Amino acid sequence: MKTPGSAQFDRALLAKYDVDGPRYTSYPTAPHFRGDFAEADLRQAIRSSNEEPIPRDVSAYVHLPFCASPCFYCGCARIITRDHTKAAVYLARLHREIEIASTLFDRDRLLAQLHFGGGTPNFLDADQFVELIDTLGRHFAFSRREDREFGAELDPRFCDGDYVRRIAAAGINRISIGVQDFDRSVQRAVNRVQSVEQTRDVMDGARDAGVRSINLDLIYGLPLQTADSFARTLDQVVALRPERVAIYGYAHLPERFPAQRQIDKHELPDAETRLGLLQRAVEMLTSAGYRYIGVDHFALPHDDLARAADAGTLQRNFQGYSTHAACDLIGLGMSAISHVGATFSQNAKDLAGYYAALDQGRLPIARGLRLADDDLLRADLIQQIMCAGMLDVARFESRHGIDFAHYFRDSLERLKPLEADGLVAYSPERIVVGARGQFLLRNIAMCFDAYMGTPDIRYSRAV
Amino acid sequence: MEAPHGMGHDQPARSRFVPRNPIADDGDAYHFCSTCAFGSVCLGGGVDKAALRELHCLVEHVDSYRNGDLVFRNGAHFSAIYAVRAGTVKTRLVDIEGRELVLGFHLPGELIGLNAIHPDAYPCDAVALGAVEVCRFSFPALATLAARMPGIQQELFRRLSRDIGNAALLAGDYSADERLAAFLVDLGRRYAERGFRAGSLHLAMSRSDIANYLRLAAETVSRVLRRFQDKRLIEVQGRDVTIAKPAELFEFARPILQR
Repeated sequence: MKTPGSAQFDRALLAKYDVDGPRYTSYPTAPHFRGDFAEADLRQAIRSSNEEPIPRDVSAYVHLPFCASPCFYCGCARIITRDHTKAAVYLARLHREIEIASTLFDRDRLLAQLHFGGGTPNFLDADQFVELIDTLGRHFAFSRREDREFGAELDPRFCDGDYVRRIAAAGINRISIGVQDFDRSVQRAVNRVQSVEQTRDVMDGARDAGVRSINLDLIYGLPLQTADSFARTLDQVVALRPERVAIYGYAHLPERFPAQRQIDKHELPDAETRLGLLQRAVEMLTSAGYRYIGVDHFALPHDDLARAADAGTLQRNFQGYSTHAACDLIGLGMSAISHVGATFSQNAKDLAGYYAALDQGRLPIARGLRLADDDLLRADLIQQIMCAGMLDVARFESRHGIDFAHYFRDSLERLKPLEADGLVAYSPERIVVGARGQFLLRNIAMCFDAYMGTPDIRYSRAV
Repeated sequence: MEAPHGMGHDQPARSRFVPRNPIADDGDAYHFCSTCAFGSVCLGGGVDKAALRELHCLVEHVDSYRNGDLVFRNGAHFSAIYAVRAGTVKTRLVDIEGRELVLGFHLPGELIGLNAIHPDAYPCDAVALGAVEVCRFSFPALATLAARMPGIQQELFRRLSRDIGNAALLAGDYSADERLAAFLVDLGRRYAERGFRAGSLHLAMSRSDIANYLRLAAETVSRVLRRFQDKRLIEVQGRDVTIAKPAELFEFARPILQR
């Protein structure tokens, strides 16, 4: 378990380990999904999950792909349009998908977690959003427990306090707001001009409505960012006092994300400056009372996320970290990913494919993966590293029926230089991430990734 | 890159780990599988080597089945009994409207098909739950041998009477807690008898099968298991159940098991 302040920021070390690598929001990562996984496989996985002695709770991710304006840094599956009639067309299919998918889960399985991501979920007007939540509530059995997590990503340029009050009344109890940077020249360079006031208005609305946890997203490594300008942004963020802050490193992959071609690469900060930005963020957030949770994420000590980190119940998921025990995840909407039992699957990544499947009454599964025993045990290990910062070897061995030192002999060999640098300590009893390794969790996990070195897959940088 | 497989139970370095899906170790003409239904008869009974070889020769076939395959079908002519070698077999009846009635679950080392002796036809279906291996014993040959080897005859009678006893077990007016506790305690004992770790159960059967067998609703099965887990009597990880407090669990099961 991580104790406050145990993460040590060592700039030389971070520079040394600044290599490309996955974020491990899943293992195996999405690029390894395969085209031979079909709808029937997902249906089978859900049936089988219903038949466990105590079936897991259900988590739903709902993807709303539309954005009214393109942010140049974005790598999400999104569709830029100002035509709001497209939302209604999309929602008709989404409701159909909810009908089909929900009947596959036994009725005593509660929906304990719900997340709306995008795109821009608030491309929907408030009526549409509330109706979508109600539709989900009619088809899935919503958990009534206090600890249910119903979250939405919001763009404060296109909604206000009243909007948040409406969706909170319908059940949303946490929100995540994209900020990225408050500096006006940086905002212009990435085509996302958003004032502190707009952000505060949405936050105030959320707090009025009893929303329990607010997250602000920031990005370092954007064009024109300097240590000073980013410090001003961080001052403003800290003053707004969100319960959680996520700081992502910008990954410039213009060959993969066409919008990024709008970014002048000469305006991007160099590797040294990037590290400086991250360091400033870590220092300012820590001194403002935020705790480092793991890869990209910070939280105030009273927030559920920090409590879960203390209790050792943290989970890694597609949104980063979560406080919930493992759920079966059903992804709804274009490009959404499901994770049911030992399978991953992903919906069609284009509207045409997504609509065509649903118009034929099929679930729009385009690809996926059935996890082998080796995948499952590596996923478990990486989860332990990412969430608990340690691994109890004996318990892991009895859980998976392996001899750890023998099974992972190659991985442990790869780990040795990281041990020598003090990132991590391995003994026959346990693996413990050291203070110097807290910001390099991805690099530690990469040692145990059996897919590392697969050609033709590009990841963002670890730092 | 290390090989992701090779988790065989024959590697000494891994022998301290209990395989997740119990499988009998291989026998030969003189060494029976440690879980074999007849293993104890032979090992303890001072059987001479010739008889031992004869018994082993009765194993006509080792058959593999996939999930849902039928080992035998209700009404089929009775010719053999089967010993489960790996996995779990469910016995069941299906009525004319297609409704299923689960009769029992059979673990490695246990016999199925014994109740077919009298009407000369199998009185139920036997269905593989997950991957299953069974040894097939020709009944006429077994009967001949049993006449010469009293141990085998006794074993057959003992098992036959236990099957009948199990069926009566759940007929009474018992609560859901009592039924589930008895179910888990009974499974634990049977695993232990076959040399598997008593407190660690792999439930190959679905919760609807458990519910059907115990005459409960599927939701009730999960609700009671969750309650047992909250009381820390058991720990459930997917389909693996660990009995953490056997004595306390037995208290729930006592009305049924001590009848």
